[in-house]
Parts: sequence; structure tokens; C-alpha cells
Amino acid sequence: MSKQAPGVRIDGLTVTYNNLPAVRNVSLELPPGTITGIVGESGSGKSTLALSLLNAVQPPGRIAAGSVEIDEIGNVVEFAAEQIRRVRGSQIGYVFQAAQNSLNPLKTVGKQLLDLGRSHGVEDLRGLVRDAKDLLGRMGLDGARVLDSHQHELSGGMRQRVGIMLALVLNAHLVVLDEPTTALDMITQSTILKIIREVHEERGLTTLVITHDIGVVAEVADRLAVMYGGRLVEQGPTREVLASPQHPYTRGLIRAIPRLTGDIDEAQALPGRPPTLATVPAEGCVFRERCPLRMDVCDTVDPAAEAYGTRIVACHAVKVKEHA
Amino acid sequence: MITGTGIVKTFKQRGNVLDKREVRALRGVDFSIPKGGAASFIGESGCGKTTLGRIIAGLETHDEGEIVIDDVAMSSLKPKARQPYFRRIQMIHQDPYSALNPTRTIFQTLQAPLRLRARQTGRDGKWIDERASEVLSLVGLDPGSVLGRYPHQLSGGMRQRVVIARALTVDPEMLVADEAVSMIDVSLRLGILALLKDLRERLGVAVLFITHDVATARYIGDDGDLYVIYRGQVIEHGKVDTVISDPVHPYTQSLLSAIPVLHGLEQPGTQPVVPLSGLDESLSDGGCLFARRCPFHTERCTSELPALGRSEGVPQEHACFYPERRDVVARPMSGV
Repeated sequence: MSKQAPGVRIDGLTVTYNNLPAVRNVSLELPPGTITGIVGESGSGKSTLALSLLNAVQPPGRIAAGSVEIDEIGNVVEFAAEQIRRVRGSQIGYVFQAAQNSLNPLKTVGKQLLDLGRSHGVEDLRGLVRDAKDLLGRMGLDGARVLDSHQHELSGGMRQRVGIMLALVLNAHLVVLDEPTTALDMITQSTILKIIREVHEERGLTTLVITHDIGVVAEVADRLAVMYGGRLVEQGPTREVLASPQHPYTRGLIRAIPRLTGDIDEAQALPGRPPTLATVPAEGCVFRERCPLRMDVCDTVDPAAEAYGTRIVACHAVKVKEHA
Repeated sequence: MITGTGIVKTFKQRGNVLDKREVRALRGVDFSIPKGGAASFIGESGCGKTTLGRIIAGLETHDEGEIVIDDVAMSSLKPKARQPYFRRIQMIHQDPYSALNPTRTIFQTLQAPLRLRARQTGRDGKWIDERASEVLSLVGLDPGSVLGRYPHQLSGGMRQRVVIARALTVDPEMLVADEAVSMIDVSLRLGILALLKDLRERLGVAVLFITHDVATARYIGDDGDLYVIYRGQVIEHGKVDTVISDPVHPYTQSLLSAIPVLHGLEQPGTQPVVPLSGLDESLSDGGCLFARRCPFHTERCTSELPALGRSEGVPQEHACFYPERRDVVARPMSGV
């Protein structure tokens, strides 16, 4: 069953919780075979956006507008419950934020693997176990031992790898990783990131990584998308965005990263605080309260996402500069 | 001034009665933090850095060694007599969401320790009100808008500032910040680090920073000391910038090699060090604790334990038989 890495087109997606928009009018394309990284702080809507790919936003959240078109699957926003259940796991793999805690503590990893297989009607369970062992071995683990283990017998880095195995073992070619390295040590993080990159290439995947850590995206992603207050404020090729960020939030975020070398005083925290669902402004630009380039128009008009070469930016000030 | 010599801590593993396994959390650690100074303990989870921090704050006992606070050896005092010393060492925990009582306003949170302080120094209620506003101003919060609020009405960064303000109510000698920024939003982290640095400069309070994120250690003061801890042993120690820019121990080098490179902004080091295997605590057969994972280990490393010390031409202390500089740290790209 050789499948191809699917492309994904998210168009005008709005997700609301009790009529408050957590994700607002987001359009994002995941080209087939690429790794895209979404960066945002807490409350930016990045996890909600990721869940939308599986049409798995939990009530009271609901997808209010927009579409998520996935090659060979269709617009998952319109899928009925049973239809989407079959797609999850088998075609879209999801590695949850707390992979450390998302395993069943009462069952061995192997039993959970068989549960997964049965719920998706896999007939060749032996083959499934063999694939799982292969994948775990590929990630530097002793497959047989891991399958016989309960989650408490595994380290954080091992559980994360188990999470990746469970997401891929049914041969999904679209994989979403939500905070794949949070709570892991530096060396383990570096190992996991390398594994993500290698597995992505070997199996021909389309991968989406959600994180608060720009460093993680810088290491693995081809494309970088920055979210703030439910809006996608900037996207483009990772290296280009890092080297010359256009949106004032992207710029501030990059400047706020503690670095190992260089001038200490160059690094600055962003003033103000990120908005929550309740405090995000209903009209105008979501970032204006913390923005050094704020203009009058920012108070009333939400800037549209516009393309400038390889970059898409939603900012009035950038637009003025580009047209000057 | 707070110093420790030969601190040893062993945890007995519970459970198996017949085969009592012991975990050596600290294997004879020396440190010294001058008045108003800065020090950072760096290492992976389980290396003993948090245990050491808790011992220094008087929250944990140790099995061997001596803690000396302002020239007074703590072992010479009865536990009760140690309290005034340890009270002046205040802990800032990782999680500002669970460190504050959700049913109390910020004023009530600050009032409790201040009332105690007022009783000790014979001051009145008015002083408590003034001091509560003062400590909030010190941490960069507006007392007028914060005092009457509950923790859930504040952001993570503001809560951590309140936690620091609460620590300041007792006029501490030192703040022990254990992963104090890892749960704070990225855009606000530097603000907390800058605050700790600022408190050092303005109040002369020492800061002990415990973290796995090496880069943040620079931001509480480049005059500080860095201790790299591996499986309960300090394996490299020196000035922050020396150790970060010129590490000589292969473990420190692998820690620094593992830090993500901001491609496009930074150039990765040309000689990254990757450990041969994952951390395995069960290995303990004499020799260097890092030997099994070290790409450069020799026969000697597996049979003889290198002690922390100095060698010629290396400004920092290290515990390696073969200290060597390697280009592991990413540098800013020129022209960016």
C-alpha cells in the first residue's frame, strides 16, 4: 500500500469556543512531503488549529467556518463522526502534547497497539506488531521490550517515541505532532527531532509540528507559521523567516529567545502579555497592544494576510512599507 | 556567602524489600555562592540539581558534607536554630500556577509573611500595607491593579513575579530559582530573567538558578558561576561565559551541541558532540560516570574516576582526563 504524502489546504478556518474565536480566518497550505512548524504562545490557538485537521475540536469548541481539504481524503470539516474516526490513525497520525501521559497506565504498549489495530479493522495483527517493532527499532529502541512495558517503565524520551510509533504504525502519511519535545531534556530533544526528520523523509510524510519553541521549528521545519491571538500573522520558509522576520510579533519573538552567544543586551522580552480568549480584541489587529509599529488603522481594521514573495504577512505596517 | 563542601545525598528506593537499591543523587558536591552573586546549576533531569537546590534551601537533608551560611556551619546548629538561616534562602518554583493559593488575593498572599516579619521587627499594620506595595513595585507590577486580584486573573509571567515578590517579603539573602521560567510564555521569559538580574543589582540578593536550558543561565548575570552536574557529580565549573563558549568536558559539549540552532540566524558549531547512547542510571562500574556515553572514552576512563580539578591552559575546573576544546556552540551569522 504505497501511499503518497498528501497535501493539505486549510482555508478561512475559524474555530470558536462559546462564540469566542480561538482560531480566526486562518489559511495555511501544507505542501506534500514538507514539515511545517506552527509557533505560538499559550492561547494562540495553535493546538486548536492542529485538532481541526482531525476534526477533533472538543465541544464547546466548534469549527464555525472554513475548510480543511486533505488530498485523497477530502474536506474533513464536513465528515461525519464514523467517517472521521476511520481516517484518524489510519491516514492522519496524531502525537499528542502529553505523550508522556497519553498512554494507558494499566496496559502494556503492546496491548494498546493491538487495541489500535482492532479498532481500525486490521486483520494481520502479527504484521502490525512486526511493523511496530521495526519502527521502534528504527528509533533506537528495543521493540520487543518496549511492547512488553507499561508506560511507567519507560523514560520520557521513550514514551515520546512510542507516541510517534502509534501515530505511524497504521501507515498514516499525514502526521501532526503537538509539542513533541516539551518536558524533555536537551539531549533527548535533539535525538527526537533527528528521529522526526529521518522518519519524515524515509516514510514520505507530510508533517505538522506544533510548538511554543522556535528552536524546535528551526531544527526540523521547512516552513514556519507564526500564530498570535488566533491569527496566523506570518508564514514562509523557515530560514527566511528567521533571518528576516517581517511581522513585528515574529521579530519580537525571535529577539526574546535566550541565546548562547552574542550580545546579552540584544535579547529583549516583549512588553505586555499574550491575549487570552476573553481578552483578544474583537476588531482590529490582535497584536496592536504590544506592537511598536501601531498605527490608527490597527485599532479598527484586522489586517488581511497578504503575500510578499515567498512570505505571507498580516500587518498594516508591513503593507505600508512594501507599497512605499 | 553560602558554601557547600562534599555534599552527598543518597535516596533509598522504596518497594523491593530484599533488594534495596540506592540512588546516589549527589556524590560529593562543592559549591560557593558569594553575597549578591549568581550561580547556575545545569544538567538533565535526574542529575541531582534540584535536590542540591532543595538542600541549600533547607528543604531536604543531606547525608554527608557541610553547608556554611555566613560563616556558620549548619551541622553545628540544632534544626530549630537553622531556621532563621534557611528562611533567608527563598525558593522560586517552576510552576507559578500551583505556587499561589487560588482562594487568596495577592494582598492576602503577601500579608501572611509580612505579618510575621512585622511581629519580628515590631512594626504595625500600616507598614505591612506599604511593604506589600513596595515588593510588588520591585518586581515590576503595579500594586494598585494587582493587590486586589486573584491568581487566576494574572498571566503566568505576572504570577511568577508575585511569587518572587512573596519571596522578597522576608528580605532574603538568596533566591533559589528552580526552572523558574520554563513554564512562562516565551515572549515573557527574558523579562523574568532580567528581573532576577535586576534584583541582584538593586537589592544585593544572590541568585541560584537551576535549569536544563543552558542559554538562560547567561541572563541572570555574566559574572556568575556555572556548575554542570552529571549524575550527581559536578563535571565542569567556571565562569558562565567561559564554560558556555569554551567547554572542555565532552558532556558539557554534548549538552551545548543539543541546543537547537536557529538556521538562518546562526551557524552551527563544526564539531558537535553526540552521546553514544541514552542515559542509563544503572551503569556504575567505577570509572568516569559519562564514559559509556562518551565518544572519546579510553580504557582509563572506564576504570578510574576523574575528580573535579584544574589542568594547564584551561581556566575552568573540569572532571575529565582528556579536556579538549571543541567547536560545538552555534554562532550568530555575520551580517545578520
